[in-house]
Formats: sequence, structure tokens, C-alpha cells
Amino acid sequence: MTDIGASRGKISPDDETLLADLGRVLDEADPPPIDLVQRVQFAIALENLDVEVARWERLDALSGVRGGGGQGTITFTVSDLTVMINLTKIGQLHRIDGWLVPAGEYGVEVRVAEHGSSSTVADEGGRFVLDRVPCGTTQIVVTLGDISCQRTVVTPTIVL
Amino acid sequence: MTDVETAEVDPPWEGLTGADLHAACMHAARAGSRAAMDRLVSELTPLVWHVARGNGLDKHSAEDVVQTVWLALFTHLETLRDPRALAAWLITTARHEARRPQGRKTPPLPLTDEFAESLPSTQPAPEEVAIRADRDRRLWQAFTQLPQRCQELLRLTVLAGRAEYQLVADALRMPRGSVGPTRGRCLNSMRDLLSNEGGIR
Repeated sequence: MTDIGASRGKISPDDETLLADLGRVLDEADPPPIDLVQRVQFAIALENLDVEVARWERLDALSGVRGGGGQGTITFTVSDLTVMINLTKIGQLHRIDGWLVPAGEYGVEVRVAEHGSSSTVADEGGRFVLDRVPCGTTQIVVTLGDISCQRTVVTPTIVL
Repeated sequence: MTDVETAEVDPPWEGLTGADLHAACMHAARAGSRAAMDRLVSELTPLVWHVARGNGLDKHSAEDVVQTVWLALFTHLETLRDPRALAAWLITTARHEARRPQGRKTPPLPLTDEFAESLPSTQPAPEEVAIRADRDRRLWQAFTQLPQRCQELLRLTVLAGRAEYQLVADALRMPRGSVGPTRGRCLNSMRDLLSNEGGIR
């Protein structure tokens, strides 16, 4: 309960003091989530970083995937590709039903931090299923095209 | 495969700070060093986070923006010509990402004061955050009542290094000479808000 540059309750800390205080308060009040650095480091720990980044369509963000529900639909898009995944929680694991648009027999890999990865290939309708995916920090990697012209699309990590 | 030696020998960026640290890490990252990339991520994620939050994103959206910005950097390492300008590039890219139309959960609406008050704030309420000191709580309360432009500028000023006017000016696309006066006005508004609250005691 000390006065700082105060007279009759009116405060006038100088700019430097106010900025220094603000820096401390920002760190306290609105720090990045504690695991965010690790999640970014996991997201970039790809063998080949020549990838395109798909973005989360946030219209779906209200569908309850986040917040521990572990159920629902997520859509990611990048340029001409849309990746939709539907999650079903089964005990401690997830079943992922996915759909790629435009359709194609593309490789799909799901990486889960500390649990390695599982891979499959979408059918000609662009659909794929991955059973028994463990919970955790998860990233989806889609490989399109043939060897002569291969593209890789990755999503940001999500915590499932 | 190339990072084995970093566990034994100090990395070349050891002891560096600021733009020197960023440049040394960028140089190593371009040569494929994962340790250098990880170092940049741990060093500068708070900056990217505060840019996203300062642009009004909720926490989940801000997390996505942080990841997207880092992925964009490391998948296009060659496009950033001046490694010393990394912080400015991160700020600019994070602002751009945060302002993409689908980058927001709620569509941008012209905000009247009344409407703004009826919206849930994307800032944590003072009572929700782990601020113990009464004085700091008041500071945070005053800060969250500032216009968004002020909040963003002050976050950047604090995070990007207090003296780096040029960095902040470039990132905010402001003329260099107007950063100081604008910041001064924002700080004055904050002092007004604090004294309306009865001041910091």
C-alpha cells in the first residue's frame, strides 16, 4: 500500500514506470498457454519442411471439439484442398473419419506427440479412417500428387 | 543428424540477445538446425502471442495464429531476406493472420460502446487472472478498457523492446515519428482510467 507518485489519490507514474508495470502485469494476466511453445516445436518437427499450411476453419470451432469434448467436426483448408475430420471418442482413444476435397487417393498421416504417428491412404472418394488414435497434441499431414510433383499439407496442432 | 553436437558444445547463438540472437538462429535454421528453430520459437512465441491477442483474438484463435505464423516462417525460410528483421516480420505476419476474415470467430462489426459492452471480452476479466496485487489488478483493468489500437501498441512496445520504435512503426505501418506521441496518448488514457478508479494506492 505505498503511494507511487501519487498526490490525493491521483496517480501519475511516468511513462517508463507505467510501461515496466504493464510488462509485468501482461506476463501475469495474459501469458501464452504454458504448452504453446512445445506444441509449436512439435508442429515444426517434420522431416521435410517444404509444406503448405492449412488453416483451421473457425466456423467449426464452436462444435465442441475443443474444451475437452473430443467429439465433433473440424475443417482445415489450404488453397485448393479442404480436409474435414470427424472425431469420435472411444475411451481414451479417438476414431478419425476424414474426407478430402477434391477427392483423391492421398496419403494421410496423423502425428500425436509422444505417440508416434499412424498413416493411411484415402479412397478414391477422398475418405479415410484412422482408428485408435491416442489423445494428445495432434497434427494431420496430407501428401498429394505423385512422386514427380508431390505436395505436402500440414495442419496446426490441435489438442485432442 | 546435424544437431548432435549442440548438446555438447554451446550453440553459436549462446549469449546473444535481441536481433543478434535472431540472426544467428536464423542462419543456423537455414542450415537445417532444429535446435536453432526451437530456440527462436521459445524466444519469440510470447511476442507473436501478444500481437494476436492485441488484435482481439480469443485464446484459441491466438494459439492457431501463433502456430500458423511459425509454420509459415519455417516453410519459407528463404523468403525472409534480412534475418535481423525477424521480429518485425513476425509481428507483421501475425497481424495479417489475425485480421484474416476467417481468422476471427466473430465477424468484425462496427462497435458502438453499448454494443461493445454487451460482448464478452476476449481479455480475461481481472478477477479471473492470477493477479494478486491490488495495484496490478487495477492496472490490468485500466489496460483492458483502452481502445484496441492502444492495447496493441502498448503490448508491442513492451514486448518488442521498449526502444525499438522503428520495429513497432514498421509493423504497425505508422510513420516513425508518430509512435512516440501515440504511445504517450495511450499512456495518458491509461493514467486517466487509473485515476477515475481512485488511483493506484
